[in-house]
Amino acid sequence: MIGIYLCDDEDVIRRQIQTALERKIFMENYDMEVVCAAAGAQELLDAVENGKQGVYFLDVELKDGEWDGFLLGRELRRQDPHGTLVYITGHEDLAWRTFQYHLEAFDYIVKEPEQIGPSVSRCLEEIHTRLIAERQSPTERFTLRTDEMTRHIPLRDILFFETASAPHHIFLHTPGSRMDFLGSLNELETRLGNQFIRTHRAYLVAADKIEAVDWKHNKLWAGGHECLLSRAGKAKLRKIMGEKP
Amino acid sequence: MMLSLNDLLTGFLDTLTGHLALAAYLLAVTDERAVWRRLKKLPPLLLSPLIAVLLSVGLYAVPELIMFQYYILSFIILMIVTFWVRWAWQFRFWQAFAATCMAAIFQVAESTLSRVLFWETLPNESSPLAAALAIYLSISIAVSLLLYRLRFGKWFRLLLDNTSEIRRIALLLFTLEAVMEVSFRLVYGIQTQFLAFFYLLIAVMVILMAMLVIYFAQRFDALRKIKAQQNIIARQRLYEQDLEMIRRETRAFRHDYKNLLAGLSQQAATGELEGLRHTLARLDAGFDLRLGNKIRASVQIGNLQIPEVRSLLLNKLTVMRKEGVECRLEVLYPVTAVDMDIWDFVRCLGILTDNAMEAASDTKQPWVEILMLAQDRRVFLRISNPYANLIEPGKMWNDGWSTKGAGRGMGLSGYQHILKNYPNASPCTSWENGVFVQELTVEDRR
Repeated sequence: MIGIYLCDDEDVIRRQIQTALERKIFMENYDMEVVCAAAGAQELLDAVENGKQGVYFLDVELKDGEWDGFLLGRELRRQDPHGTLVYITGHEDLAWRTFQYHLEAFDYIVKEPEQIGPSVSRCLEEIHTRLIAERQSPTERFTLRTDEMTRHIPLRDILFFETASAPHHIFLHTPGSRMDFLGSLNELETRLGNQFIRTHRAYLVAADKIEAVDWKHNKLWAGGHECLLSRAGKAKLRKIMGEKP
Repeated sequence: MMLSLNDLLTGFLDTLTGHLALAAYLLAVTDERAVWRRLKKLPPLLLSPLIAVLLSVGLYAVPELIMFQYYILSFIILMIVTFWVRWAWQFRFWQAFAATCMAAIFQVAESTLSRVLFWETLPNESSPLAAALAIYLSISIAVSLLLYRLRFGKWFRLLLDNTSEIRRIALLLFTLEAVMEVSFRLVYGIQTQFLAFFYLLIAVMVILMAMLVIYFAQRFDALRKIKAQQNIIARQRLYEQDLEMIRRETRAFRHDYKNLLAGLSQQAATGELEGLRHTLARLDAGFDLRLGNKIRASVQIGNLQIPEVRSLLLNKLTVMRKEGVECRLEVLYPVTAVDMDIWDFVRCLGILTDNAMEAASDTKQPWVEILMLAQDRRVFLRISNPYANLIEPGKMWNDGWSTKGAGRGMGLSGYQHILKNYPNASPCTSWENGVFVQELTVEDRR
């Protein structure tokens, strides 16, 4: 069962949302339950079970001591990296993109007296669909952590890692991006295992992403990028290619 | 006078050493960090001594020019090196010329000084040539390292970046260089007992020239700061005007609002429910249109509490509004500091917004989205825009790449160049579903 958590300091709104959620769950017979409807951040955090994937409805304009909607969302993300965050806002002008990129927030609901019920049930339906889809095809993810900023990158998207020109910086290449983070190729090599091949001192390439190898000029291509190939890398690559005919 | 093969070889080795010394000084005066990358482009420069030797043979054939032979050769070498620098450093011509002249001043001064030294200590010139050249080269490298330590190159780079006056600076440096060359030739005419004074004179002269360059660079830096300050004041005024406009709009809105309310109460009295709903909707839409958007933008801008950054973004927002590019700015929390030299950060921001604007304007519905978030001792910047052109991942980070064709995108490599000095900055780039995204996280180092 998936737990739903709700936090809003306006009693009327909170009750409205809770009712809408419970009605939808009952009608559609979802495997969900409103575990907690809190007026403050601390109350909500106390109720959250660590390590379980939940769905959270949070007020953006929440004022509870140090907490606001963003900070509460961040704390929840830390405890529940794969949970679903939905924000409730009084104004349509919230910094929504910021919530999306930094908290991977799923959606937001505007507090309009007549609209809030239908909005909540529509939103819950979308969440339910997504959770079902995720359960059917879980993707293995590479978690890139730079202190507190965390990005999840599907492992199958990674083309290769490359040392950047600045010391200790690594570039991660995917078909549609290049990211820079602090790390070491040696560490990554041991962590990622044999799906990735250390073709060169400065390159760690996904084995199934190699498109072409130029043995003569010590180069190989992954996702249209040129990577270097060392003598030791060649030996490794030959061995792997020999194994799979 | 006949030239033997031995003379030619000596001449070649001598010029070669001079070129290598010049290259060392060039690295120092341009404050180059990626030394190996530049040295990889060294081989073509080695053609220059060969050309010089061949030319000197040719010049011997014209007796009228004997007097000027040295100067003509020096000038030709200077030009060859300038073109080499232009290629190896990707400089513009005048920048390359200025840098070459500066390096040549140091190199010629060193030649003069070392010639005096050799004559004093080794009067019969019997010392092996190789040893003399090796000593010469090691002195060049030592002086270059000293220049690196003294951060001379940092100041000189500042002058080179001053595009509006680079020509005057280059010509001034060329004159100084010519003076140095003349002094160098004068050595032959100085009597031995005065050589020590001459030595002193040259040393003082080269130090004075270096100080002159630093003085100019500092003055330029001060001027630039004043200009930036004026710019900030101008932008601030623009911001205040915006606030003033909001105030005026509020007053006007209040007036309309009263009228609408009067209408509402009448509609309520007569029980016109449809009309009531319509008027209410108009009230809401009117607020959003006239005030809501403006207030929203000013709150976001108010959170940008670094004047330089605010001024730049205000400028870019104005330009975007003018160009019809829809712009969204989100600054959730106040941004008070970024752990980078603030001008470097502003330059990065400028490059990224300019690129975004340019790429977006090729699309049917251009928009640019700028997010800034200050949290937990780090500042996060994200700029995204739609794009229409083809992206080539393998080439994107090369010098001069752009979606508009080679040679246009000096920006992105400049951006990378700035970030090289900041290990606490992590850039990310992505391009998916027609949206190009540049992200930059700057951690606090303290």
